[in-house]
Amino acid sequence: MLDPSVLHHLSEAAVAIELETPDMTLNIGPQHPSTHGVLRLVAKVDGEQVYDVQPVIGYMHRGYEKISEVRTYPQIITLINRIEWVSGYANEIPFLVAVERIMGLEVPERAQYIRLILTELTRLSSHLMFMGSYPLELGASTPLMFALRERERVLDLIEGVTGGRFHPNFNRIGGVKPAAGAGPSQKKLVQDLPKGFLEDTRDAMDRVLSTSDELEDLIAGNEVLLARTKGVGILPPEVAMAYGVTGPNLRASGVDFDLRKRSDYLPYDQLDFKTAVTETGDCWDRWWVRLVEIRESARMIKQAVDQIPSGPLQAKVPRVIKVPKGEIYVRAENPKGEMGYHVISEGGQVPYRVKIRSASFNNISILPHILERILIPDIVAIMGSLDFVLGDVDR
Amino acid sequence: MTNSRLESIEDFAASVAEAVGATSHSSDLGTVKVKVERERWVEAVTAARDIALLPLFSWLSAVDWTNDVAVGDPPAEEVEERYEVMCAVSNVTDGQIVVLSTDLPKDDASIDSVVGVYPGANWHEREAAEMFEIDFIGHPNLIKLYLTSDFVGHPLKKSYALISREVKPWPGTVDVEDMPESASSDAPSFENPDA
Repeated sequence: MLDPSVLHHLSEAAVAIELETPDMTLNIGPQHPSTHGVLRLVAKVDGEQVYDVQPVIGYMHRGYEKISEVRTYPQIITLINRIEWVSGYANEIPFLVAVERIMGLEVPERAQYIRLILTELTRLSSHLMFMGSYPLELGASTPLMFALRERERVLDLIEGVTGGRFHPNFNRIGGVKPAAGAGPSQKKLVQDLPKGFLEDTRDAMDRVLSTSDELEDLIAGNEVLLARTKGVGILPPEVAMAYGVTGPNLRASGVDFDLRKRSDYLPYDQLDFKTAVTETGDCWDRWWVRLVEIRESARMIKQAVDQIPSGPLQAKVPRVIKVPKGEIYVRAENPKGEMGYHVISEGGQVPYRVKIRSASFNNISILPHILERILIPDIVAIMGSLDFVLGDVDR
Repeated sequence: MTNSRLESIEDFAASVAEAVGATSHSSDLGTVKVKVERERWVEAVTAARDIALLPLFSWLSAVDWTNDVAVGDPPAEEVEERYEVMCAVSNVTDGQIVVLSTDLPKDDASIDSVVGVYPGANWHEREAAEMFEIDFIGHPNLIKLYLTSDFVGHPLKKSYALISREVKPWPGTVDVEDMPESASSDAPSFENPDA
C-alpha cells in the first residue's frame, strides 16, 4: 500500500496530462428530426468535437432523370413538381422555359406575370417554412406559429389559382392552364385568376410584411438564438462557389448573385427589387438573407399585381407536343438556389436526356467541409441554416 | 431573347473557347457549349476557372449516345457511340454559364477527375460513375452515391431497360390517341339496369 500522500501526488499527475478520449463513430439519421427527411450523417466524434462527416444520401432517389426519358414533355411537368415539394411550382419554370425556347414559343405576357406571381408566392411559402422550422430546431417554438399562420394564407392564394397547395401542376407548355369551365362554349367567360385574387394578394402581402417584422422582433432580439447562430458555420465565398452552393446560402456569404437579376426566364426586369446580400456567411446571415427576401418577394408580388397586363394565357401549341432537335440548359432562381434542366431533344415526344440540376444537392455537398471540427449541437444549427429538402437532393 | 443578347453570348462563347483551348464551340438557343479534348479535360476545366473566370461550379453529368436504346426514342440521326461528359460552370457577375463537354469511347470510359479543381464535382462524379459506368481517375472516394452498394447495373445507360416498360407499353401513346369514334358501344354504362 502506497503512502496516501504519494497516491495523491500520482493522481494529480494523471489529471495534468491531457485526457485522451477514444474516437467514436456517431450515426445521425436517416430518421432524425434535424435532417429534414432521410439524410444520414456518419460522423467521427472526439468528445463533443465532430470531424470527418460523411453524408449518406439516396434514400429518396426516385430516378426522375431516367423516367423522364420515357415520358412526354407535358407528363414530365407532373414529375418535376415533386423534386422539391416545398416549392413545387417553382421547379416547373426552368423546364418549361427550356422546352418553350427549343420550340420557339412566345409565351404571352399575362401568362408570364401569372408565373412570376406564383413563383414568388412559392418563395414566400418556402422561406416562411424556414422561418418557422429553423428557430424550432434551435429551441424556439413561437416563430413557427407566426410563420405557418402566414404561410397558410400564401398557400390559400396558390390553391385559389391552381387548385393545388403543394403540387399545382398548373403550367402548360406555352402558358398556364386556363380555368375550369373555360372551354370553347364559354369563350366569352374565360377567367384565369379567381375573382378578387389581385385584391386578396395585396392584403396578404401587407400581412406578410407585418409578420416579417414580428419574426424579426422575435428572433433578432433573442440572445439564445443569436449565440447559437452568430459566427457559427461560416462559409467563405470562394469555397461556396467551388462547391456550387447557390441561392440565399451563397448570398449570405457575400456573393451578389441572383438569377432573377441575371437571367431573363421571367419578366423580373420590369420589377424594382433588391437582392439581399450579407458579408459573414454564418448561420445568422443565412437566416437574415431569407427574412429580407420575404420582404422583397412581398414587394415584388405587389408590383406584379399592379402591373399585370390582360391578354391570352396560352401560345398556340399543337395538341401533340413534339419538340424539335435541340440542346439547352435553362436555370432559374428557386427558393433554395439554382434549379436548372439540361434538356436534349432529338425531335419527337420524349426527350433524349434530361439532366436535373437541383439546388439542395450542391448545397449539402458542402456538409463534409462545413461540419469539420465543430461541436455536436452546432450540426443542427448549421444543417438547418442551409435549408435543404431531401427530395431536392435525391431527385 | 434579343439579338444583341444573342450576339454577346456568341462573343462570350468564343472568348471561353479560346481560354480553354477548345476544339469547337456553339451557342445555339443561348446555351454556350464548348468542346474540349478528353486528354486536356482537367487542364480545360482549370482554365475555365482561372482564365475564363468562372468560379461557380454548377453541375457535371454525362449522356449516353447510342443508336440502340432500350428505353425512350433513339436519336433522330445515326450518332457515334460514345459517352459525353459535361461540366457546367458559371460566373457570378453577369450570369453567363458554359457547358464544357468531352467525348469518351464506350470501350474505355474513363476520364480524369476534376475534384481537385472544383471540389463540388465530388458528388456529381460519383453519380455519373454509378449511373453510366464511367471511371473518374483520381477521384478520392468513387463509391456509389444514390444506389445501394450491391446494386447491379448502371441505370442511366440507354441499354438499361425499365421493368415497368416491359410489363406495360409506355403510357404516352394512350394520352395522345384520338378519341374513340363510337365511345358509347364499349364504354361502361352508368344507367341502373333495374330501372
